Amino acid sequence: MYQHVDSGERLIDIRDLRVWYRTTRGPAKAVDGVNLTINRNEVFGLAGESGCGKSTLAKGILGVIKLPGYFEGGEVDFCRKKSDSTLICEDLLKMSREQVRRMRWRDMAYIPQSAMNVLSPVARIDKQMLDGIFEHTNWSKEKARARMYECMDLVGLDKAVARMYPHELSGGMKQRVAIAAAITLTPDLIIADEPTTALDVNVQQVILQELKEIREKLKLTLIYVTHDMAVHAEMADRMGIMYAGVLMEVAPVVDTFHDPYHPYTEGLISSIPSIGGGRERMMGIPGRAPSPLEYPSGCRFHPRCPKVMAICSEEMPTLKQVGPERYVACHLHDEYTFEERANGGD
Amino acid sequence: MFKLMRKYPILNYYFTKFFAYFLTIFGALTITFFMFRLIPANPIENWLRSLEAQYSLTIDGGDAMVNSYKEKFGMTGTLWQQYVRYMYNVIFHFDLGPSFINFPRPVSELLAEALPWTMGLLAVSISISWVLGLLVGAVAAWFRDSPVSGTITNISIALSQVPAYLIALFLVLFIGYQWKLLPTRGAFDGQYAIGWNLDFIRSVARHSILPALAIVTVSLAAWILSTRSLVISNLGEDYLLYAEAKGLKSGDIMTKYALRNAMLPQATGLALTMGSMMSGQLLIEHMFVYPGLGQVMGRAIAIFDYNAMMGLIILSVVSVMTASLAVDLLLPVIDPRIRTAIKA
Repeated sequence: MYQHVDSGERLIDIRDLRVWYRTTRGPAKAVDGVNLTINRNEVFGLAGESGCGKSTLAKGILGVIKLPGYFEGGEVDFCRKKSDSTLICEDLLKMSREQVRRMRWRDMAYIPQSAMNVLSPVARIDKQMLDGIFEHTNWSKEKARARMYECMDLVGLDKAVARMYPHELSGGMKQRVAIAAAITLTPDLIIADEPTTALDVNVQQVILQELKEIREKLKLTLIYVTHDMAVHAEMADRMGIMYAGVLMEVAPVVDTFHDPYHPYTEGLISSIPSIGGGRERMMGIPGRAPSPLEYPSGCRFHPRCPKVMAICSEEMPTLKQVGPERYVACHLHDEYTFEERANGGD
Repeated sequence: MFKLMRKYPILNYYFTKFFAYFLTIFGALTITFFMFRLIPANPIENWLRSLEAQYSLTIDGGDAMVNSYKEKFGMTGTLWQQYVRYMYNVIFHFDLGPSFINFPRPVSELLAEALPWTMGLLAVSISISWVLGLLVGAVAAWFRDSPVSGTITNISIALSQVPAYLIALFLVLFIGYQWKLLPTRGAFDGQYAIGWNLDFIRSVARHSILPALAIVTVSLAAWILSTRSLVISNLGEDYLLYAEAKGLKSGDIMTKYALRNAMLPQATGLALTMGSMMSGQLLIEHMFVYPGLGQVMGRAIAIFDYNAMMGLIILSVVSVMTASLAVDLLLPVIDPRIRTAIKA
C-alpha cells in the first residue's frame, strides 16, 4: 500500500524489509525480513550483537543505503500528521529519491555512530548545522541562527562552539553538536545509531540523560541502536532484539529484562555483569553470530540455542504476537509445539 | 619583533617559511654556479673555435679579445672571486650577466621578454585544466558506477600518458595545416601594433589556443584522474553519509563536502605544477614557435650560453620555490587544522 490514511499512533510500519549487500560471494543479507511497528512518542531500543544488521536497519529506514547495499524488498511506511491531524502514511521505498531527501532532517533525523568523523574537518560547526536548516526551510538567517543557538543550549553547548572547527572540540562536544543538529527542525523521528559508544562512560551517562530530557521535552520518537543492554535498560520503552538480520523478540523493556521469551534474549541478558552478588562465571552465548552470506537453515539461532528442538533446523519461526505487547520468533512459543511439549512429545 | 611573533604564532610561521625560502634559493644559486663551472666546455672557446674555422681569427688581437670577453662574462680571477661577483650581481642587481645568444644584451632582459609569454600561456592553460579537472574528476568519482564515468576515466588514463608534443603535432597537422582554422606559428600576428588594442589581444588569444590546448589536454587528464581517486577515497567518509542524512542535495554534498576536502592536496599539486611547468614546455613552445622561455632555452643550449642557461635554471628554481611558498602561506587559510597546529 503506497499511501493510506491512518488515525492511530503508529509512526513507522516496517514490513518484510530486506537490505542486502552485493558481494563476490553472493548477497550478504544484513537485514533479511524485518517486521516492526514504531509508535509515536516512544523510545524504541534496537539491540543485538555486532553484525546482526541493526545499523543497516537504521540506515534502511533513513534510506541512505549506498551501493553495494540495496533494498531487496519490503515496505517502510512512514506516517506524517497533516494539518487536520489526520495521518498520511507513505512507503519510503516507493517514494522518489527526491521526495525522501526532502523528508530527511525535517521528518526524520539521524544521530550518527561516530560523531568524531561525521563533521567535515574544514567547515565551522555553525555552517554544518545551518546547512541542514536552510536546505529544508526558507527561514531567514537570523531565525535559523536563533534556532541553532536554542538547540545548542538544550544540549549544554556554549555559543562560542558555533564558530569552532570540529578538531577543536572533544568527543563529547562533537556528539552534542550531532544531537543539537538533529533536533533543529524538530523531526518526528530521530534515529540514534550508537551515539555514545565511542565516549567515556561518565560522558556517556551525561549525554544519555540529556538526550532523554530533550526527547521528553520535544515529544520525539527515538529509535536507539546499541549493543549495550545497560543503555537500553535506561533509555528504552520497548525493545527489539535483532539476530542474523531478523527480529527475534519485541517487547516492553521491563518484560525483556524480567521475562525474556527468546533463548537468545536470555543469553544477551545473562551476559551483562551485575554489580554485587557473588562472583559468578558470566553466562555468554556459545559460538559466533553467523555470516550474513550464509545463514543456518530454519531458525538462524538454532546452532547456538541451548533449547534447540528438531523443528528448529527445518522451519524458520516467524515473529508473532504471543501477548498484548509481546512478539517473539521462536518455536518454543509456537502454540503447536508448545502443545506437543505439554503432551510429553518431542 | 620577537615579542610580536610570540604573541601571534602565525607570524612566526610565515617568518620561518620566508627564511627557508630565501635560504633554499641561495643554496640553489650556489649549486647552479659550481655545476656550470664544472662543465669542461666554455662558450668563449667554442666561439673562438668557430671563428678559427672561418679563418677570421687574427693572432695579434686574439689574446686581448679573449681577455675582454672573459671579463665581460665574469670569468677572470679565481673561482671564489667569480662566485662572489656572480652572487653579488644576481642578488643585489638581478644581473645575470650578458647573454651570448644575443650579445651584448643582458640575460635578464632576454628572460624578462620571454617570461610573460610562457607565464601567460601556462597560467591560463594550467588554471583551466585544474578547475575543469577538479570538477570533472569529482563528477566522475560521484557517478563512478555509470558508463559515462567509466568512459571519462579510461580516456583520461590514455591521454595522461600521451606526451603533450604528440597532441601538439596532431593539432598543428589537422587544425592548423589541414583545415586552416587557427594559426600555428608565433604568439601574435605581426600586422597589429603591440599593445592593449583589441586586434592585438584577439590575435594573441587566437595564437595561444593551439599550444594551450595541447597542454590542457594532457594535464586535464592527469587532474581528472587524481581528483577522481581522491574523491573516491573520500566517499567512504562518514561526513558524506551524514550530509546525505541531512537531506542535502547531492550536488551540494559533492562540492561542499567531497570536493572541498579533496581540494587540499590538489592545491599543493597546483602550485608545484605551476612551478615545474615553467621550464617544462620546451617542445610545445618550439613546435608553435612561441617566443617563450622554451625558445630561449633551445637557443642557449645550442651555442652553450652559460649565462642564459644559468638564468633559466635560476628562474625555474625561483618559480618552483615561490609557488610552494605561496601554498605554504595559503594552506592555513584553506585548512583550519593547520591553523590550529601553528597556534599550538
